[in-house]
Amino acid sequence: MIQSKNAISLLMKSLIFIILTVLALLVLVPVIWMCLSAFKTEKEIISWPPTFIPHTLTLLNFGDVQKRIDILRYIMNSVIYAGGTTALAVVVNSMAGYAYAFYDFKGKTGLFLITLATMMVPFQVIMVPLFLVVFKLKMYNSYWGLIIPRVAVAGSIFMMRAAFTGIPKELAEAARIDGLGEQGIFWRIMLPQVKPAIITLTILSINGSWNDLLWPMIITSSTQMRTLANGLALFIGQNTIQYGAAFAGALISLIPMFVLYIFGQKYFVEGMASSGLKG
Amino acid sequence: MKRIMKYWNQPSTSPYVFVAPSIILLLMFSVIPLLTAFGLSLFDVPITMNKADFVGLENFTDAFKDRRFINSLKITAIFTLLEVPIQVIGALIVGALVSKNNARNNFFRAIYFLPVVCSATAIGIMWRMILHSNIGFVTACLQTMGLGRINFMNTPGLTIFVVSFISVWRSFGISAVIYVTAIQQVPSSLYEAAQMDGAGPIRQFCSITFPSVRPTFWYILMTRFAGALQIFDIIYITTNGGPNYTTESTVTYIYSRAFSSSSSMGYASAMSVILFGVIMVITIMMYRRMNKEDA
Amino acid sequence: MKKKVLALGMAALMAASAMPTMSVAAEEPITISFWNSFTGADGDMLVELVDKFNEENEDGITVDMDISADFNSQLSTAFAAETGPTMILSSSAYRFTYGDYLQDVSDVFDKTTLDKSDFIQSYLDYCSDGDKTFFVPFQVVGYYMYWNKDLFEAAGLDPETPPTTWEEWESMAEQLKDESKNVYGSGISYDYAYQIAHIMQRFGGLAVTKDGDAWKANFADNEGYTEFLNMYKTLIDDQANPVEADTDSMMSAGQVGMTVGGPWVTAGLDTAGVNYGIGLIPQGAAGDMNSVEVLGFAVTTTASEEEKAAAYKFIEWWNTADEEGSSPALEWSLANGFPAYTYSVQENEEYQASPKLSAMSAANPDAPTDFIVDSNFAGINSIISDVIPEMINSVAFDSASVEEALNTAQEKADEIVAEYN
Repeated sequence: MIQSKNAISLLMKSLIFIILTVLALLVLVPVIWMCLSAFKTEKEIISWPPTFIPHTLTLLNFGDVQKRIDILRYIMNSVIYAGGTTALAVVVNSMAGYAYAFYDFKGKTGLFLITLATMMVPFQVIMVPLFLVVFKLKMYNSYWGLIIPRVAVAGSIFMMRAAFTGIPKELAEAARIDGLGEQGIFWRIMLPQVKPAIITLTILSINGSWNDLLWPMIITSSTQMRTLANGLALFIGQNTIQYGAAFAGALISLIPMFVLYIFGQKYFVEGMASSGLKG
Repeated sequence: MKRIMKYWNQPSTSPYVFVAPSIILLLMFSVIPLLTAFGLSLFDVPITMNKADFVGLENFTDAFKDRRFINSLKITAIFTLLEVPIQVIGALIVGALVSKNNARNNFFRAIYFLPVVCSATAIGIMWRMILHSNIGFVTACLQTMGLGRINFMNTPGLTIFVVSFISVWRSFGISAVIYVTAIQQVPSSLYEAAQMDGAGPIRQFCSITFPSVRPTFWYILMTRFAGALQIFDIIYITTNGGPNYTTESTVTYIYSRAFSSSSSMGYASAMSVILFGVIMVITIMMYRRMNKEDA
Repeated sequence: MKKKVLALGMAALMAASAMPTMSVAAEEPITISFWNSFTGADGDMLVELVDKFNEENEDGITVDMDISADFNSQLSTAFAAETGPTMILSSSAYRFTYGDYLQDVSDVFDKTTLDKSDFIQSYLDYCSDGDKTFFVPFQVVGYYMYWNKDLFEAAGLDPETPPTTWEEWESMAEQLKDESKNVYGSGISYDYAYQIAHIMQRFGGLAVTKDGDAWKANFADNEGYTEFLNMYKTLIDDQANPVEADTDSMMSAGQVGMTVGGPWVTAGLDTAGVNYGIGLIPQGAAGDMNSVEVLGFAVTTTASEEEKAAAYKFIEWWNTADEEGSSPALEWSLANGFPAYTYSVQENEEYQASPKLSAMSAANPDAPTDFIVDSNFAGINSIISDVIPEMINSVAFDSASVEEALNTAQEKADEIVAEYN
């Protein structure tokens, strides 16, 4: 009896492992193909029969990227854009998410629905009016103009609301009895409870701005203000695509994000440990 | 000063303090542009908005007579039905499978997250290349395996599946990781108790994990819905609506109406209002359901 | 004391020597913004040339160039806020969309050393509307035929004799295909409206023409168009032409025998090391034609007089030959394979010696240059991005007959034409 149960559990474990591995391969093979292609010659990327492993390794594509764009300047702009947006977004969106999860207040449903409504119109349509607002506020071609309009995001508020909904309300009650004010409860008690969600929000927000193409392009007018994503788009022409350079650029911009994720993942562990203790 | 502090810290007023920054920012940078765009739907106005003729509801009646718009709604619906269930349920299952913190799961989670951190443009041209009907790596592999030459990107009826797959491929890592964070917040004592009762992993998932992550489930469902109904970038880069408009989503069509051909902002806005209506109705229905569950 | 005198003397000397240059560069240093959409390989060269101008010019002008991956979005949002760059570089068809924001630049020939009579008139016509000139030509984009000589050889065809008629194209395509190697004879893409348009008009003439005072669309019952679509259908059915949007990559990979495209195709073929030839697109029943698009420099209404003058200086520099007879315009033509828009470049020795350009310039100089519609028809964008794609897609994928496809195209085009009549 026990043996068969063990056998079933072993079977199940291997099945799970196989599923996870297949999924991982599905993800990895194309990504590795892209990364390897960054080291191929243009001729080899577009060739028949197609190749996976490069016949000859070349760093020419990286040279092209470096020659074409001011990488350091663009990375700096990307860091300012992503860092600024994210720092503000974490504060603003988790405050709002907390309020929608923990309080009953007049106008709550209305405000939340307005918030949700803002994610239902394609950006391409509000782009021109939004540009006019930013322009009238004299934020055109500035870092503020780049950052401020992207801080409040309905999706992030919703995500934080979901995270806070999972926290028992008794925790807030207990703190109130202890004499803590509402601000204190939020910042000192509640926020640490949703650490994993905050890290996810941080990663998503940084990643979103890091890869954002359209907004930085229309809201800045000088090449000095361009972000890395804008720079890399230059290799994809209307009539020709420089595949090698485009893939090399993609690799350059992917690495910092991936490292960030690995770091973030370390915090998931801690986040779980702390919520585990209190739960 | 003391009065401010009072508002700041009182349970009756502090929620307004908490939502104020987001509401102000959203009003300025989302609601005002949105209302402007809605207003534009009643005008015949070019993209640069320097002249506007009031046309009443003409843009709307035109839209319902526009075969390409109707087709785009159909395509968007198909895409949504293909993409959302996988994103919402598939990612939950995968998230649950890799939710425990250990080296193996860390590894898988990192891999699944990889496409999320790639730029959409790079992903688009990569898939276009490897699925190319003639010189694509995947196409060639399948051909050597004797599966014939599949024209992934140029077959009406098939390509929408391919595009949906690419879209899932690109972002299911986000959904999975968000589920993981939610699952990790579930107190481990619940699982311990269940184990003592002799509940197997599947029963634990159904009776503990799933109910506990319900808020996250609703969040992913609703945002994915809104996102899928507005799908644009992946289509724009991979197929741009082809072949024969069988992957032309509503926003792809709106974009081409606003920018590429006749540059008609009014008409593009009218179509967005219709799309907005559809998304809003579905969202409110879901929101009601969600609130009932929360209560 | 002595030192002081010396210093004074030096200062006077310096001032004196500085005077003449000062008076040349009398104007304040000025920076003008310059937007265009030259992403891709030719953008590299544009960057180099603009840098060169910034270094060389003695008027203190700095051109701040911004190459945009989404030029239309960037330009339209900026114009909506009444801001924008000093100068843009775009297709002359932009005059139909952004004409309200472009200044008249006809005085460029009065205010600079540029000579109007040096510019080929038919290209200048593209840049104007009535008395107003919106653009100074920068690049003439014609489409040409490219063929893979190695594939010709492999198929037993003479690699030096490309098709000169469409009947030959069709029969050669059949001979070139080789299923065992996934090789196709003809590379016409269903998703490439510009390519289709250049070919189609050689069969059946322009899609929109002037009929008395009114515009008229010519899709329905157009024998030439019918013939073209039938040929396309046959090529696809016979698997001599792939059902593929991206045929350019296949050409670069040596998987397509013949194709039609802009000069940038050569860039891909050169990097891929393909042994190819360039020729004119075979003419058809509609007679000789030399269809082109013209791209040009334009000055926007947001530019001040000073900025406009600085932009003129740049345009002048672009078209002015140095002592060796080389100008940026010539360099651009030679490197990227775009035919000349001035007689002086056309007569240049180096230009005439270039095999690419001589093949491209073999076109009949008197042939009409209109591209797909009469060059003054403002609805060209809608014809290219809506009518033609719908037509070719329905032929490639629907069971619709060629006649039905053309009738639908006619209806659609009639609507567009009605807007401009």
